[in-house]
Amino acid sequence: MTISPFQVTSRLVRDVAIVYPRGYLNNLSGEGLVNECGKHARAGMKKIVVNFRETDLINSIGISFLLNVMEDLQTCGGTLCFTEMKKVHLDTFEMLGLTKYFLFFPDEEATLQALRTQGG
Amino acid sequence: MPLTGVPAKDYLNREDDLSYLRRLADMRQDSLAANVLLLGTRGVGKTELLKQVFREVFWEGREVVPFYYSFKTAALKSSTFARDYFTRFFKQYAAYVKKEPLLVDDAGMSLNRLMPVLSSAGLDWMLDIADAFQEHAVSGDLYGQILAAISAPAATAKRGGRRILVMLDDFTASEDLHEARRGDAPGLASLFEESMKNSLCPHIITGSPATRLEGIFSDPSLRKDTERMQLLPLPEDTSFSFFDSLLRKTHITCEMREALGLIRTVRGNPLYLKNMAKAAWKMKKKELREKDLAECYCLEVLEGETAFYWSSVLSEQIRTKGLLRTMLKLLMRRQTKEGPNDEARLSQVLGIRDAELGQAMEILDGNGLGGHADPVFEDFVRALYMREIEGRSAGEIRERIGERFGAQRDSSRFEMVIPMTDQAELVAARAVEQIGKNINLEPDLLNYIQLALVETCINAIEHSGSYEKKIYLTFLSTPERLEITIESPGRPFSLDALRESPVEEKLASGRKRGWGFTLIRKIMDDVRVERVHDRTRVTLIKNIRKKEART
Repeated sequence: MTISPFQVTSRLVRDVAIVYPRGYLNNLSGEGLVNECGKHARAGMKKIVVNFRETDLINSIGISFLLNVMEDLQTCGGTLCFTEMKKVHLDTFEMLGLTKYFLFFPDEEATLQALRTQGG
Repeated sequence: MPLTGVPAKDYLNREDDLSYLRRLADMRQDSLAANVLLLGTRGVGKTELLKQVFREVFWEGREVVPFYYSFKTAALKSSTFARDYFTRFFKQYAAYVKKEPLLVDDAGMSLNRLMPVLSSAGLDWMLDIADAFQEHAVSGDLYGQILAAISAPAATAKRGGRRILVMLDDFTASEDLHEARRGDAPGLASLFEESMKNSLCPHIITGSPATRLEGIFSDPSLRKDTERMQLLPLPEDTSFSFFDSLLRKTHITCEMREALGLIRTVRGNPLYLKNMAKAAWKMKKKELREKDLAECYCLEVLEGETAFYWSSVLSEQIRTKGLLRTMLKLLMRRQTKEGPNDEARLSQVLGIRDAELGQAMEILDGNGLGGHADPVFEDFVRALYMREIEGRSAGEIRERIGERFGAQRDSSRFEMVIPMTDQAELVAARAVEQIGKNINLEPDLLNYIQLALVETCINAIEHSGSYEKKIYLTFLSTPERLEITIESPGRPFSLDALRESPVEEKLASGRKRGWGFTLIRKIMDDVRVERVHDRTRVTLIKNIRKKEART
């Protein structure tokens, strides 16, 4: 596992904000991710997808930040989806008993399709 | 006894320690040094170092008299101890002044017979000190007698003008000093306080286990003016030189590459190396190959001096066969690290009554036998378990221990220190990645182990509160097992951090934290948290099944 410095970028696809955290998701970078998601939520985007394809490692503090993003979004009636997660990351959520609290999709297309079906 | 150390030319890699202790009397008088608490694992060479110090100080003529006393062989009934301590001190003092080494260990020389010897050496004034001691003995003043004995070096130094270097070996046994029966006079060891304060007679004190010795010195009166010196195992090349020097005495030859497996298994412990060399001689070996060393090892662990040594350590504490069986079951469970850890469940699983289990656990932990990271001790326990509990034959046990010896030989040990800075845990993660690759671990499994390690390091960084700001890591890998220890100085680990709360509870909390240990426990086969000296040690163990290693 090669771990790159953390970066977060995002793009908009119609009413969906797709966020790309890159590198190591920990206490320092977790705030960056929360801020990026918060920026879209404040702009009125209620559907946020986090694409983990370039995320190398998520530690337990990183997970707590993702839970905070989910909570913030739920309070404004939004939806948070995760996509392109590596097996180790999915298993981590599974081990912690957290899978039922998030929506997981294999790729962006499937995520966008599901969100389109959901409407809103 | 103190003059029977290995020849100076064969005493390797301890030059700095030896030189420091040799000069302790000078430095103590100049207030540059304190008394020394010499710490180290069993067999690492603490007694040998004292013997070397004794010999050098005895012969170098700097007007410092070495005095060595071992509590291991001492009679611990206090009146007998007092006389023994006093007499040995007088003998060693007279031996030094007369330069007659034979006097040091002259068992037949009683205190009364010693008087003319002292007189002939111009030490008449010592008779006054002896008289004062005898008066306490005659009047039945037990405490006076012990104090007179313990303070004899200080009194003699003051009167005679020669400083005394007091070396107390196996000091942990001093806890058993008693009046009529064991335990009836606790705290007699604290009577050494006055003597230790005297700058004319610095003390070097050692014993095993280190935790128990440190326990005695947690008493503020003893801790003051005491510094700690840690004696480490011999490095590989020195271990071989030492082993080779022992073999050569019996005309046995061995190449370093052949001995490396054994040296790694015994982890540079001089006592084990000495025993293995003797075993090779007893087995009439001439040119040692790896398979011969495996044979020597099995013999030692099963019935050699190493087995005898560990049997003695166990029998000091365990008086009944039943307790021995309990102890073996407990030790084996800890070795294999299977099943539950809590006492109530253990009692059920092992089929042992609570009281007996509690007693066994207390003995193990109180004597530093519980969390043993010594493969030789582990093999000794394993062999005893197979014989006493499983009823296996000697041949079968030898075969199994031999297999384990082969596996240990294939082990790799790495150590690293990382700073407690942001993302330092990633450096440790990269290290374990390469170690895992070396033993062909599946990439998925490696990712999980990396995550568990990252979590443990973060925990250490967040909770230690230490000024040292360092994390000490050790990686021990064999084809069957990966063991990682993570040690951090500072605050003891809070048990609250280990408590697993329900997911809903965590989600309802503000910061939604506290997932680390849940994750670590799910990933690893065994996780142990313990306090070792001033550090918190977390041990992560992963047993590697065949399918998890790439072929």
